[in-house]
Amino acid sequence: MLRLIATFIKEFKILIVDRTGITVLFIMPVLLVFIMTLIQHEAYKSLTQSGIPVLLVNKDNDSLGLAIEKGFSKSSICELTIDKGAQYKTTADIKKKMVDGKFVIALVIPENATNALRNDVEGIMKRLFDKNAAIASDTGKVNIEVVVDPTANRSFIMAITSGLKEYIASIKTKVLFQIMGEKIGKLMNIDQKVNMPDQDFFVYKEEYALREGKTFYQPNAVQHNIPAWAIFSIFFIVLPLGGSIIGERSEGLFIRMRTFPGSYLSILSGKLFVYFLVAILQFSIIMALGKFILPLLGLPVLDIGSHPVALITLTVSLSLAAISYGLLVGTIFDTPQQSAVFGGISILIMSALGGIWVPLNIMPHFMQTISSFSPLNWALLGYYELFIKGGDWHAIQYQVMKLFIFFVSALLISYRVYKFKTRLN
Amino acid sequence: MSNQSCITISKITKKYKNSATNALNEVDFEINDGEIFGLLGPNGAGKTTLLSILCGLVKASGGGATIFGHSINDNPERVKRILGVVPQDIALYPTLSGRDNLMFIGRMYGLSGAVLKNRVDECLDKFGFDTNANNQVKHYSGGMKRRINLIGGILHKPKILLLDEPTVGMDVQTRTSIIEHLRQINENEKMTIIYTSHYMEQAELFCNRIAIMDKGRILCLGTPQELMIKEERADLEEVFLKLTGRKIRD
Repeated sequence: MLRLIATFIKEFKILIVDRTGITVLFIMPVLLVFIMTLIQHEAYKSLTQSGIPVLLVNKDNDSLGLAIEKGFSKSSICELTIDKGAQYKTTADIKKKMVDGKFVIALVIPENATNALRNDVEGIMKRLFDKNAAIASDTGKVNIEVVVDPTANRSFIMAITSGLKEYIASIKTKVLFQIMGEKIGKLMNIDQKVNMPDQDFFVYKEEYALREGKTFYQPNAVQHNIPAWAIFSIFFIVLPLGGSIIGERSEGLFIRMRTFPGSYLSILSGKLFVYFLVAILQFSIIMALGKFILPLLGLPVLDIGSHPVALITLTVSLSLAAISYGLLVGTIFDTPQQSAVFGGISILIMSALGGIWVPLNIMPHFMQTISSFSPLNWALLGYYELFIKGGDWHAIQYQVMKLFIFFVSALLISYRVYKFKTRLN
Repeated sequence: MSNQSCITISKITKKYKNSATNALNEVDFEINDGEIFGLLGPNGAGKTTLLSILCGLVKASGGGATIFGHSINDNPERVKRILGVVPQDIALYPTLSGRDNLMFIGRMYGLSGAVLKNRVDECLDKFGFDTNANNQVKHYSGGMKRRINLIGGILHKPKILLLDEPTVGMDVQTRTSIIEHLRQINENEKMTIIYTSHYMEQAELFCNRIAIMDKGRILCLGTPQELMIKEERADLEEVFLKLTGRKIRD
């Protein structure tokens, strides 16, 4: 025990005076989380949250214009500004405001659009009841102008134009039935006006696949980036840990250690324990950042789920996997340079494959298959279960198991390599 | 110094893998309790290999040794507690202070609390350190590093101290001071010292007995005076050159 404590004190003292190590372990991860979360916050917001500024210039002021107004007012994705044509008289006026960044998309419903629609529908009805009736000319068409900010997200533009088409189709159906009702009434000598119900027949209900008893939580930049970059940072322990192991071996310290009574493993355990605590501290700092600091900058508060034991188990497994990888790299390579280059690049590759940089669902299928071999991916999926899907221990048990197997395997391989390198000739 | 042996080396042979020749060839001698024993020889003679076998870093291909009756093959843990080792390379953490390095080494030998602190203070004082013991080792001169490296080997008061070229690269003043300290430790603490060196003059003055090795064999063994009389030479360096030749070794 004394040997373990001695190594712990020694490693701790070495670490606190190592400015580069402290920067790599604590300062860089915090900066990384700050920058990546803030950058990705806008991207997530445009896809998932409200507040996209939309201008609706409604010069119609009849059924069609009012239906579109009503439809977009109910929409959760846009912040609607309605103008009756008083302020924005021309397209140039709209473009000027759009260039200034006031709106992302603008819809212009022309005057008499509803009348034009009615005329069009009446023409269709006429042809239905009288085959010799003339086909309506182009003058009956309604030109709805859509002005778009060229930098706007394409999926958002698609959502708005789809909504517009939906509202037009809906009002066109209503007009169609109204006119058809009037025509049939006339033919059957029934003087009764048909009132179409204002409410939609089909009601869409969005459901989220959640664990039983859990409420919906909207994924956002914070929920993804905080665990993702915490995992990445913890795995970067490979640089100082690998360097420390190699340093000891190359500076003659290793010979002295092997002449100490007792097993070298107890010395190594003390070293690994310090780095284990570093990993836990890194994770705690990054979580605190998401919980208390980022919300001050207008970002959503990090939700860490409601299963602290599962969270601790996953984080402990992740930390063990990371330090065992550092040990492996430090044991295999002979110089700090080799260790730093291989360790750094291998973590970048594993993080890219693991969905840290780019969400897994936009990767090609074969890449998604490869990603399932990255320990960073196992940890990330575990945190998604806890933070987004409201999962508990059962939901993360396979991820924990995989990380633990990785830890044990890396230890065993390191031991074999160590034995091979220090074999008594 | 007694005539009772503390180390008995019996026909130790060592052949490294991928090597055509033996590093040690049936080396067989005894070292007495409390003596300062010099192991001299040109590069590649087998000195470091022999010390490495005694402290458990390398395994002998044949033969064995006992240290105070404990076999190095059967009871290496017990042997490690008896020995203090000062490696040829500086075996210190450069970003820790000299004191912190020694505290770590002391704890690894089971010292703790006031005993450890007092022992570290005592040794630092003996070897000429004051507040500079609290500075990082990387800022020390070569001599200071060597002295801390040496203290690391004696901190736990081992019965036997193995020194592999402890004064290499030091100026004359530091070298003399180190040797004087080692002599005091030997006298006051009755510590047996086994020492390898290329400094013949120093070995002649410092060691009670000397073994000259070459090509894995002991060429001669005795007090410096006995060797000079036997080989009919005026000093140890002449004896050394007579026995090992003048050819430059790799």
